[in-house]
Amino acid sequence: MATRSTSERARKTRITKALKAAFRPELATGGDDTVKIRVCAGSTCNATGRAAVSDALTKELAKRGLSDKVEVVLTGCHGLCQEGPIAVVHPKGVFYPRLKAKDMAEIVETSVVGDDVVERLLYRDPATGEAVTLEKDVPFYAGQTRIVRAVNGTIDPTSVDDYLSRGGYAALAAVLAAGDPEAVIDEVESSGLRGRGGAGFPTGTKWRYCRANPGEKHYIIANGDEGDPGAFMDRAILEDNPHSLVEGMLIGAFAIGADEGYVYVRHEYPLAVSRLRIALEQARERGLLGDDILGTGWSFDLKINQGAGAFVCGESTALTASIEGHRGMPRGKHIRTVAHGLWQQPTDLNNVETFANVPWIVSNGADAFAALGTETSKGTKIFSLTGKSRNSGLVEVPMGATLREVIFDVGGGMQDGREFKAVQLGGPSGGCLPADLLDTPIDFENLTKYGSMMGSGGMVVVDDATCMVDFAKFFFEFTAQESCGKCVPCRVGTQRVLEILERICAGDGTEADVELLERLSDDIIEGSLCQLGGSAPNPVLTTLRYFRDEVMAHVVEKRCPAKVCRPLIKYVIEEDACTGCHVCLGACPTQAISGERKQAHVIDQKLCIKCDTCRQVCKFDAIPVVDAQPALVEGRQQ
Amino acid sequence: MPRRNGTTTEPRGSALYEVLKGIDFERRELVDKTRGVGLFDLVKDKAGAYKCYACTLCERTCPVDCIEIDYCPEFDELPFDVEAERAAALLTLPGESCGAGAACVMGEQPAGFVPEIDMKLFDPVISGLRAGTGLVEALHTTQEAYGYLPRVALENIAEEAHLPFSRVFGVASFYSQFRLTPVGKHVIHVCMGTACHVAGAPLVAEAFAQELDIPVGSTTPDLLFTLETVNCIGACALAPAVRIGDEVTHARVTPQSARKLVRQLRKKEA
Repeated sequence: MATRSTSERARKTRITKALKAAFRPELATGGDDTVKIRVCAGSTCNATGRAAVSDALTKELAKRGLSDKVEVVLTGCHGLCQEGPIAVVHPKGVFYPRLKAKDMAEIVETSVVGDDVVERLLYRDPATGEAVTLEKDVPFYAGQTRIVRAVNGTIDPTSVDDYLSRGGYAALAAVLAAGDPEAVIDEVESSGLRGRGGAGFPTGTKWRYCRANPGEKHYIIANGDEGDPGAFMDRAILEDNPHSLVEGMLIGAFAIGADEGYVYVRHEYPLAVSRLRIALEQARERGLLGDDILGTGWSFDLKINQGAGAFVCGESTALTASIEGHRGMPRGKHIRTVAHGLWQQPTDLNNVETFANVPWIVSNGADAFAALGTETSKGTKIFSLTGKSRNSGLVEVPMGATLREVIFDVGGGMQDGREFKAVQLGGPSGGCLPADLLDTPIDFENLTKYGSMMGSGGMVVVDDATCMVDFAKFFFEFTAQESCGKCVPCRVGTQRVLEILERICAGDGTEADVELLERLSDDIIEGSLCQLGGSAPNPVLTTLRYFRDEVMAHVVEKRCPAKVCRPLIKYVIEEDACTGCHVCLGACPTQAISGERKQAHVIDQKLCIKCDTCRQVCKFDAIPVVDAQPALVEGRQQ
Repeated sequence: MPRRNGTTTEPRGSALYEVLKGIDFERRELVDKTRGVGLFDLVKDKAGAYKCYACTLCERTCPVDCIEIDYCPEFDELPFDVEAERAAALLTLPGESCGAGAACVMGEQPAGFVPEIDMKLFDPVISGLRAGTGLVEALHTTQEAYGYLPRVALENIAEEAHLPFSRVFGVASFYSQFRLTPVGKHVIHVCMGTACHVAGAPLVAEAFAQELDIPVGSTTPDLLFTLETVNCIGACALAPAVRIGDEVTHARVTPQSARKLVRQLRKKEA
């Protein structure tokens, strides 16, 4: 007994030493207390001109001979994507959004050399108009609880040392030192962590099943095939903190006894793929991945597998088929992937975000994780808040936060003072929830109860300018196109639903159509082979449930209340408001607008293609959208 | 053909029975399936040749995956004459001159396009396949090299990976990122994600289509532009977003700025 505990202690010391040896502090960028400028290099900031900003900054620092003293760190996404490019000047933490290359000299002059802030460049709270100086005081960040995204935005995602300097891979070392896979599974199970990909299956339980299933080999796969339009939290983890995924997968692999794993990433995320590739290389170099991890003799390796643009590959069995080099078509799940998955071997498949939660749970304990959230859903969830809310970006809140808290407190309410109409959760598999349900706490059960679902966490806010029928049609265009065609209910059903919705949007729908929609939706849910079909009708069912009046307006009155469906609207120029400025006339792509300068213009309805250009360019709001058949509308209303 | 009238001793569905009488069946036990009673019959015609020509429809539609079309040359116990089947499968597809046939499954090539296939670019794909990369990865590498998947490349991959051409073609056509026709110099991806949709992406796509005078998903005859829609590029905060090429993402595009973008690019090329 004594010898065993001695060898155990020796093993622990060995692992601790190996972890310490893997860390090279001189290469890490250091904490918040030193002078440095963190420039966000997330996909969105990159798209809005980050490269020009950081180049200008580096040049300016070189010009002043400050290159050695002031570090420029290209970090992962800060979350407030619509304000990009973002830079934060430390040690104070002054937050500068929407930067331009020409602003950088002034920032260096005032905030780096001097100890002041550039007032005109500060972030202004859209609600109050007041300037906010420090990053932590921005309301968007203040309302969040960040576990998974705690260090994103402060570390350089291409540096393993940055991750190690924040206690990275300590959870892995602890797990390996304890050497008990069952204990890891117990810990994850008691934390109440559930799959973040949508279905919400308890992760610990999945690991237990997978471990118990016999096979020549066990596989572990991270599902980063984030196909939901409007969701990008997995991309953010891969781009901003790829090592948290790698560590989570290593812990998972140790727990289920896997020695090979895959990360399935969308091909549409090139930056995520390249950063993950760097992370894997660095982890291998430092002995954190590959053979003999941290000197324990245990080996595990990860491969990247790129998808090729198929939404259905988010489905576990389709994903494994895709890795095997087949068409990404799912199979019936009478045998689960934990028993027969990749190459017919027991396979554990979790979402990227699920894995990224694991190191935190191991480091902080299951109880700390379970303390967050609701009765059935524990921990936090990242949502990608987009659409017509004032702030767009990634929001991490504890489970059980209400929709109102996320959209109005963190999201800052609606753009341009417009009215909140609905929030769409869960992408094409989810549904739209109306304003009445804004105070609903967000957890798996609640969302399902109201006909939506958690999905991967897309949250699209829409205002009164969005037609709910058109919105449902949009999702069906997506699912009909993405249906793999294997089973009839989904292949034919989604196409038929789409046709009915097209009819309704064109003003040709009947009341029988609405009834048929409901029946058909039930059949698709009932008969489909996988969850793509099984959840595809959710958008249309929730639209019928919460926005039936709007559907009936299309069917009975032949009008589109949101003025979106083209056959039911027309553009006219108001004589009184038009100044005859010729702007719309020049912008019209079909020369449908005519009129003399300084006299009211007229739109030729035969030529008009309703492209909305004239309304957008008009500075006098003189081009309203009206019902195409007002007589019919009035007649019906009488 | 005798009609079933109650007096005949022939089994039910006798009309079908008549047809099938002269045909041999081969029964093969299905293994590795939960319901172990399944039997797999292959129909032969009167000359003794198998009627199946591996169109893979049954494989694709079977809800429980109990059919697998697999006539890999490595398994000679399979009932197929591999070479003949392969030739037959290829015959159902169009010949080398892709632009010629109206029924061309590879899609129509843009007018004025002369395919130029540099087989040297193909070496990394072959070495990748030999090193054990998957089929999807091989197709990605091929597309990176040529910008699209030329037919001859698909045939080479099939040969190298010991797979039927139909299988490689099936995978290539399944995924939306793979292109079977060449692309223009500037590939315009209009994001059609949810956030972009509510911000007016359909109008933007339409403006591009009008300005370029081509439908979405095609290439201009001068091979300068290809217009495509993508489901979501994850730049939702920039909606509506348009990505041109692999790098430049344009934020908050309107129909008007879309037209301007095209004109600017045209001017640059002129």
